[in-house]
Amino acid sequence: MRIIVLVKQVPDTTEVKLDPKTGNLIREGIESIINPDDRHALEAAISLKEKTGGKIIALSMGPPQAVDALSEAIGMGVDEGILLTDRAFAGADTWATSFTLGKAVEKIGGFDLILCGRQAIDGDTAQIGPQVADYLKIPQVTYVFEIEAVRKKSILVKRRMEDGYERIQCELPALLTVIGELNTPRYAMVGGLIDACREKAPIKLWNAADIGVQTCDVGLEGSLTHVIRTFAPKSQRQGEMIEGDAEAAAKSLIGKLKENSLI
Amino acid sequence: MIRSNPEELIRKSIAKFVDNELIPSAQEIDEKGEFPMEMFQKIGKMGVFGIRYPKNKGGAGGNTTLYCIICEELARGLMSVAAITAMQCLMGTNFLFHFGTKEMHEKYFLPAMRGEKISCFCLTEPEAGSDLGNVSTLAKKTDKGFVVNGMKTWVTNGPVADFYTVLCQTDPAKKLRGLNFFFFPKDTPGLSASKAFDLLGTRTTQISELAFNEVHIPHEYMLGQEGQGLNNLLSILSEIRTMTAALAIGLQRAALDDSIRYAHERAQFGRTISKYQLIQAKIANMAVNLEASKLLTYKATRMIDNKEECLKEASIAKYFATESACKAGDEVTRIFGAYGYSMEYSAQRYYRDNRFLLYGGGTHEILQPNIARWVGL
Amino acid sequence: MTVWIEVDLCNGCQRCIKTCPYGAVELRDGKAHILDRCTSCGACLEVCKQKAIFSDMEPKVIPDFSDRKGVWVFAEQRAGKLTSVSLELLGKAQELAASLGQDVSALLLGSKVSGLAKSLINHGADRVYLAEHRALKDFRTLAYTKVIEELVARYRPNILLMGATHVGRDLAPRVSRRIGVGLTADCTELSIDPEEGILLQTRPAFGGNVMATIANRYSRPQMATVRPGVMEPRPTPGKKGRVIRHKVSLKEREIGVKVLEVVKEKKKGVNLSEAKVIVAGGRGVGNAEGFRKLEKLAAAIGGEVAGTRVAVEEGWIPPERQVGQTGQSVRPELYIACGISGAIQHRAGMMNSRYVIAINKDPRAPIFQVADWSIVGDLHDVVPEMIKELKKG
Repeated sequence: MRIIVLVKQVPDTTEVKLDPKTGNLIREGIESIINPDDRHALEAAISLKEKTGGKIIALSMGPPQAVDALSEAIGMGVDEGILLTDRAFAGADTWATSFTLGKAVEKIGGFDLILCGRQAIDGDTAQIGPQVADYLKIPQVTYVFEIEAVRKKSILVKRRMEDGYERIQCELPALLTVIGELNTPRYAMVGGLIDACREKAPIKLWNAADIGVQTCDVGLEGSLTHVIRTFAPKSQRQGEMIEGDAEAAAKSLIGKLKENSLI
Repeated sequence: MIRSNPEELIRKSIAKFVDNELIPSAQEIDEKGEFPMEMFQKIGKMGVFGIRYPKNKGGAGGNTTLYCIICEELARGLMSVAAITAMQCLMGTNFLFHFGTKEMHEKYFLPAMRGEKISCFCLTEPEAGSDLGNVSTLAKKTDKGFVVNGMKTWVTNGPVADFYTVLCQTDPAKKLRGLNFFFFPKDTPGLSASKAFDLLGTRTTQISELAFNEVHIPHEYMLGQEGQGLNNLLSILSEIRTMTAALAIGLQRAALDDSIRYAHERAQFGRTISKYQLIQAKIANMAVNLEASKLLTYKATRMIDNKEECLKEASIAKYFATESACKAGDEVTRIFGAYGYSMEYSAQRYYRDNRFLLYGGGTHEILQPNIARWVGL
Repeated sequence: MTVWIEVDLCNGCQRCIKTCPYGAVELRDGKAHILDRCTSCGACLEVCKQKAIFSDMEPKVIPDFSDRKGVWVFAEQRAGKLTSVSLELLGKAQELAASLGQDVSALLLGSKVSGLAKSLINHGADRVYLAEHRALKDFRTLAYTKVIEELVARYRPNILLMGATHVGRDLAPRVSRRIGVGLTADCTELSIDPEEGILLQTRPAFGGNVMATIANRYSRPQMATVRPGVMEPRPTPGKKGRVIRHKVSLKEREIGVKVLEVVKEKKKGVNLSEAKVIVAGGRGVGNAEGFRKLEKLAAAIGGEVAGTRVAVEEGWIPPERQVGQTGQSVRPELYIACGISGAIQHRAGMMNSRYVIAINKDPRAPIFQVADWSIVGDLHDVVPEMIKELKKG
């Protein structure tokens, strides 16, 4: 089975701190990581390969440093990494990104399954999976939390819904987006990480010309949506600091709740 | 060609393991006081134990710098787990790797690399610590092999190890030139480990005595050429000292991180204690010592990787980083105030665990005169 | 495609630095300097009063979309029941349609669902496009996409909104790619730009404390998804509307998937979205034991217990009590955040609470930025004191 995993490198936004004086994001020490949902997609691909054999290719788009995400994927057990990197790709919305990734998948060719995380923690759009699937004209199942069986021409999965789940049979080739419930990702093998850093490592870098796209169709230029304004969210909160030790603070807080008829 | 930096990559990967797996269970492991088997196996699964050995012989193809980065990160989580890992990568397996037979390689070395067998290294005796010429565990040569009698103590992993690398004397008249390393599987008749000692720090470390009573072993269990034991030991001494320094860096980082976090949280007289200059001075000193420890230690690891002689640099790094770790363990408990005295917080653990570093790789009372000699006294 | 600064013209006013959405401009020796991070988005060009910033970008031509009319809402139904977010979107759609002078339509797809049309009209739909077919009984991406593609091609709407539910987040991106339009996910605010007449889509972005307004100038319909619980329904009882049937032809083999089984899992008696008071805990609670304290507080004050993703992952509380981006969005009267740092993913789920109390040991925790009342302190000390105080009456 040939599996392509879409992987994104993201800033680790789960531990964000704000400067108490300016309210600005403290950027120092925020590391880049493999997007958490994508890590589950990698694990799913690797455990499928362990059962059925085959080959796994991790595909990512990003600046040159995003090669780290692919190196780590190789450390986990992926066979090959491809990084789409080009200044022209920068600033892409999901329309342009799904086009770029779709083109790269076409160039790779011959796959049975594409796996990706449900969404990336820096954008939370959850759009790339379905959009790539549509570009490639293959069926999709999103929110997958269990892969029950893989057959020759189809795959049996469970899809998480708000109030339960659905069991779905999907024809192959297909694209699945997965959620954390699916598995526990393994840690990379240190030997694999070392190999991934070598000159001969199976990592390729492709630019716009390599995948045969014009710069006007990718990145910011190829995007259909644009950020026209950014602003700090206006907090309409009173933001009152209640001082004193635990007892005093609790007392004055409950007082405030009573004043506002909240209790 | 754009490629990742293996040092950053491995540090990040191990750091994630430490943050997600080791730190959350550190307190529990320490309190239980048992060999942390689950953690040991998880570390084995990441292929860490082979970090120093070449890929084509069952290792991960790394080097001493990468080895020390891993030791440092693990020590940031829990010293005892880091120490067991450090031993499994180096002292516990090194001579087996270099001098063991093919069969020993298959049956013991490779499983040890995967975390399926526990290794162990025995030097110290009741009457011989730094004074190795006094080692009296005697391996007497016979037609069939060797008969070993004697006693080792302060044997890390003694009660749990699957095989031992043991320094023995084959000819007392030759003193240091009569020292040789031997390999012993756990179940060899006549070999017995005592109960684990009760320890001040690194409480999960299983340290015991190991008694040899008419233990018969074949010739091939002698690791290395006869009479080369001391030289073999010296061949990894710089690395042992540098690794100990790396463990000390990990402990300093843990103590510093906790100190900073606590200083931001704890408020007295209407402001957090981070605003007080005496607290700032403590934290600044910890940071300075940490930075200096890193420079000394990673200078030594790079010399080892370049195959340069660096016993002096390694000894200086071990001495300074360990002393700094002891200071950091002291300061963190002061910054925590009375909470530093509570077993509920990890500050106390840094205070206890730092003592472990003082003895491994040579006491400072041995290192200091050596350093003095090297600089011209 | 590049953006550059004529250093001689720059007076170091830093307007461009504040405006740059990517943090890609910094001050060097008193002059603005563009970093590698720059994506050439051009936001800085507009704000530079010195006209010191230049670009070789050619402005993209905006096509004429004057024939595009109508605000559409995808009315999501499951097993013949409308989801609440569909009605909430109809509420917002009425407002948007009014500013545009256009009308509101709902898309109703399914099998034997015509009975729901009335409810949609009574919540603001002027028209309901009804597509009924056996193959549409369960939601299946390709079937639904094909029908919506046909409807859009035929009736040419201006705006298309969907709920950011598990169905909406599966369907909306697929539809957007299929019909060649941009899509903005998880908007918290939608409005019409009074001059340009385009849909302004606002959502949290860039990892945290930034809101981004996004425009979709180059394609129609302008598509956006909105999380459940963010907008409010505006019932229009007695309203008259038209139901327009759309003839569907679908073959099983073009759908690609079969739904073998739909399994409902009972929620354990929690509906956080309707709770008046929520006591929520995060990493700072420390363990499942710690949550007992929060439960006691919730009991004393008459509320529900909830938690962050971390609290769920640690197994301290069940997943159905998770608030945040990957959990539920809630809007209680009072939200008490205990030991929650307030990462954007969590804030996204509780921002619409009427009052927020934050209790955290770390004064740098972002949760304090969105709190009405803040206590810097250990929740394990403060919460029991609160319970004591409440019990006094």
